[in-house]
Amino acid sequence: MDRKLAWVGLASLALIALAIVATLMLGKPPQFRGTTYDPLVPAPEIALKKANGEEYRLTDQKGKVVLLYFGYTYCPDICPTTLATLKQAYTNLGSDANKVEIVFITVDPDRDTPQSMQRYVNQFDASFIGLSGSTADLQPVWTEYGIFRELGPKDASGNYIVSHTARILVVDKQGNLHLSYPYGEQWQDILFDLRLLINQGGSQG
Amino acid sequence: MSWKKVFGTLLALLLLVGCQPKSSTLEVQNAWARPSIAGQNDAVYFVIANGTSQDDALLSASVEIASSTELHMSMSEANDVMTMKPMQEVAVPAHQNVEFAPGGYHVMLVGLAKPLEAGDTFPIRLIFKTAGQIQVQVTVKEQ
Repeated sequence: MDRKLAWVGLASLALIALAIVATLMLGKPPQFRGTTYDPLVPAPEIALKKANGEEYRLTDQKGKVVLLYFGYTYCPDICPTTLATLKQAYTNLGSDANKVEIVFITVDPDRDTPQSMQRYVNQFDASFIGLSGSTADLQPVWTEYGIFRELGPKDASGNYIVSHTARILVVDKQGNLHLSYPYGEQWQDILFDLRLLINQGGSQG
Repeated sequence: MSWKKVFGTLLALLLLVGCQPKSSTLEVQNAWARPSIAGQNDAVYFVIANGTSQDDALLSASVEIASSTELHMSMSEANDVMTMKPMQEVAVPAHQNVEFAPGGYHVMLVGLAKPLEAGDTFPIRLIFKTAGQIQVQVTVKEQ
């Protein structure tokens, strides 16, 4: 008799434990694979010229998830590798791709025009956006987004390397800086997070 | 840094160490480059398999489709800053593979004379300290 009671007790305990775990898992906010901003901060405004002469304003993009990546068109390795990764995540979004915008902003305005930036991103996807401007226009953007850049020495033909912050920054539908990824993030992880952000409720931060 | 990334890096290192060259010569394998447009730069990636018992080193590279080439290594500095370091030469120790891959060693093509589209091929000549000149075909592809 005692033994039966013990079993019933044990089974109840197990059920309660299961219920607690289930509640925790269901109630938990989405687990992103990128680094989360805590707390979320409103993304500083970006207002730069596009290749077609129109102005691009980040605050006009609310409702879309915007990925910002800073680089330069003379970059042969890190920038194309990152843009190829973004392209894979973007393509695999399927019909949700129109809810995501991928923006490539120069760290080398002496050599990059809005046109050359757009040509560069067109190699990956014509819906990506390339932006440039004057150093005076860009400096506040680099500063506010924590983008470090340093021009290397010029070689005999006038070429130089630009060292730059290679993180991908993600602005959510509400216009908050929400996530970031270091160089080398897998496209599957970015895709996973983009789906979470796309499906995120309208008012939720 | 997630455990997955640490694990991935360890796995990559293991594969690299575990990949002993199969032949007894020095070979350049799987050369590829991304599509690009005329006037722009690009990077060529490949694996150097040194099957010989002699240490070697890659000294330089040349292609007809770009105005010049440079041996580079991409590397990360503090705070997620990426940079490239020009290399005088890249050592290829005896019985080892050295991988030129995105985010690491690459041959930078400076100023492409023509666009490169997926499916195109072009020759690259690599000069090694001991093995001398080796020419291979580079395949243009997205990844």
